[in-house]
Amino acid sequence: MKPIIEFKDVSKSFGSTEVLHNISLTINENEVIVLVGPSGSGKSTLLRCVNGLEMVTTGDLVVNGIHLPREKGRVREIRKEVGMVFQLFFLFPHMTALENVAFGPRKVRKVSRREAKEIAHDLLEKVGLEDRGHHLPSELSGGQQQRVAIARALAIKPKVMLFDEPTSALDPELREEVLNVMTLLANEGMTMMVVSHEMSFAKKAGTRLLFMDNGRIDEDGEPSEILLNPQTERLQNFLRHVGY
Amino acid sequence: MTFQWSIIVDSIPSLIEGARLSWYIAITGILGGLVLGTVAGLMRIAGTKAVGGHTFGFARVVSRFCQITAFCYIELIRGTPIIVQAMFIYFALPMLIEVTTGVRGVRFDAVTAAVITITINAGAYMSEIVRGAVQSVNKGLIEAGMAMGISKLQLISSIIGPIAFRRAIPPLGNQFIISLKDTSLFIVIGVGELTRQGQEIMASNFRALEIWSAVAVCYLIMTSALALTLRLIERRMRKI
Repeated sequence: MKPIIEFKDVSKSFGSTEVLHNISLTINENEVIVLVGPSGSGKSTLLRCVNGLEMVTTGDLVVNGIHLPREKGRVREIRKEVGMVFQLFFLFPHMTALENVAFGPRKVRKVSRREAKEIAHDLLEKVGLEDRGHHLPSELSGGQQQRVAIARALAIKPKVMLFDEPTSALDPELREEVLNVMTLLANEGMTMMVVSHEMSFAKKAGTRLLFMDNGRIDEDGEPSEILLNPQTERLQNFLRHVGY
Repeated sequence: MTFQWSIIVDSIPSLIEGARLSWYIAITGILGGLVLGTVAGLMRIAGTKAVGGHTFGFARVVSRFCQITAFCYIELIRGTPIIVQAMFIYFALPMLIEVTTGVRGVRFDAVTAAVITITINAGAYMSEIVRGAVQSVNKGLIEAGMAMGISKLQLISSIIGPIAFRRAIPPLGNQFIISLKDTSLFIVIGVGELTRQGQEIMASNFRALEIWSAVAVCYLIMTSALALTLRLIERRMRKI
């Protein structure tokens, strides 16, 4: 078990509002962490701290050997090893699906145009969209766009994948296709942090479930165990709210 | 009195000569303004979230300096009439140079002064267009780019730039046309552009109706050509 992300007494404030309070958390390679919690609990912020989209305020956050905030000048090195998938996909609208996926390898990994195209083609095949490569994002369904976004993040060959509510903008029938791709990745041993309310995914693919509330991690453990036997009242209430 | 077409036919050679000069001043000035406007527009929002954000240390000082410089330039130019700017560059600048450096006789010819005026003037307005277009790019797209570990330069050239450019085309088209028509003001510094040519012909034959109609049509042809070019560029780009 090799730690790849370590939060050591990390806090994050926006102005005078502290949204993460003294978080300590170690994530090992191959773990699939599912983060749940009510909105405003800090789970998205926690995720965005990992790749420096939000800079932690105090404490020490070590990602792949780089310390934040001390080495914030090296944040790009972290981002090259950490892929991210967003709630609203954010595919580049002026590029086709194939170009979106080939973009990272070209610009970040500096591979040749031809090689980048091959990587992109293989990844689109992996997410089941090999026949959609020449389409613009606006011509794809939400589920298809999100799968392209996953392929785009995978294309830079990251060691960790972050998912920020990847299915909450999708219709129920489109969620499945995205969750299937994520499960596939989990089974391949990808280290993942997933902010999601998909409890079925947590049980099926997650190795660890974190429940956050008010900027703190209240529960941390094996998903099926926690879901079967939630310790805190807050989590019991929360699970009822998400219909589990 | 009748509308005499022959007056127009006779004046065509000198009108074309004037139109060519107007076109030259406008196009050169617009291209210069586009470069200046892009630079000033990006300087105006240097270091902000719209272009990737998160600057600290020395870079923050540089960003702030860029912002203030661009702000002053834009406000100075937008706050003064273009005709005053033309007069200043043509008549006052040589004096300013003489007063400050003691070097005498530095003087732009009228056409160069006209090109510089259009460049500086259009640049200020275009920089606000560029700023608006860049700031309108969805922050999520910028984050998606940054999350991949690309540099700010790559972010601007590959993601923000192409998206912002599409949004900027319609307002840029407006500014191109305004600048083209603004060349008619250089009559005051003695540039032999279209309006001045018209004025001179008119002064010799007093056929105001024919001459000013012909001059108006000349401008209309040139502005249409600009508008058409922009429409073609817009059509060639992928719809997003």
